[in-house]
Amino acid sequence: MNILTPAAVLVLWSLIVLFWMAATRFPAMSKSGIDLKNAAPGGRGSDLEDQLPANVNWKSHNFTHLMESPTMFYAVIAILAISQAGDCINVGLAWGYTITRICHSIWQATVNKVSIRFLLFIVSTLFLLALAVRALLVTL
Amino acid sequence: MTSPILQPVVVLLAWTMFIWFWMYVTRIPAMQKAKIDIANLTGGTGGNLDGVLPDNIQWKAHNYNHLMAEPTIFYATTVILAIIGFGDGLNLYLAWAYVGFRIAHSLVQVTINRVMIRFMLFALSSLTLIALVVHAVIAVFHG
Repeated sequence: MNILTPAAVLVLWSLIVLFWMAATRFPAMSKSGIDLKNAAPGGRGSDLEDQLPANVNWKSHNFTHLMESPTMFYAVIAILAISQAGDCINVGLAWGYTITRICHSIWQATVNKVSIRFLLFIVSTLFLLALAVRALLVTL
Repeated sequence: MTSPILQPVVVLLAWTMFIWFWMYVTRIPAMQKAKIDIANLTGGTGGNLDGVLPDNIQWKAHNYNHLMAEPTIFYATTVILAIIGFGDGLNLYLAWAYVGFRIAHSLVQVTINRVMIRFMLFALSSLTLIALVVHAVIAVFHG
């Protein structure tokens, strides 16, 4: 299987979370009486931290999170693809990362108990670490 | 097929994973010391620990977040240079310089964190990144 597939899936998943964020945030904003047309210039998503219910902001926390550690994942996948190192182990590790990140997203956006969220993040990072070490070995 | 410029790139990836470990080996004991009920904690983000944990503990997290910010451009640029066959020579040295400055920047931010020194290292790393981006622009448009 192609090593670029899990990366493409994670990009698509991140966009799904973006829509999930928008679909819950805008109704919550109108419910709490925030009018985008009359909002002061310069506002940002994080200004909503104390104004919207926590579980609405959790979607946004996860979208921000998907813009962080996965940037390393995309770099390492590009490196492995360029180096033609898309063997079974690397493809398996890449899927492991993407799947644990999707679980992490669903958890953070819904239940969000931190101990489980932390565990999912640890497991995903261990997949990423294995990919980074294997990329180092391929390029050295 | 591989490209020499991918070597500094993977070194920065491995360095970032090291900072990730550094963040947690200091953060988790600090959270226990601050009597945070980790087992029942729900919601929140790492940023909520600013002002709750000691500053020098949070500096590790600040640097981890910093490594998720600008280096994304570095990864895009170096992958572009590798794909089009410009990942050697001066570009290779610039990429190593960027990684060297970023590692120094990390070490300053997580330890003494004097802003003037941190800023200088960030400025130097950004200048090497600008040079790489300019080379990528020229290479992509003029071959």
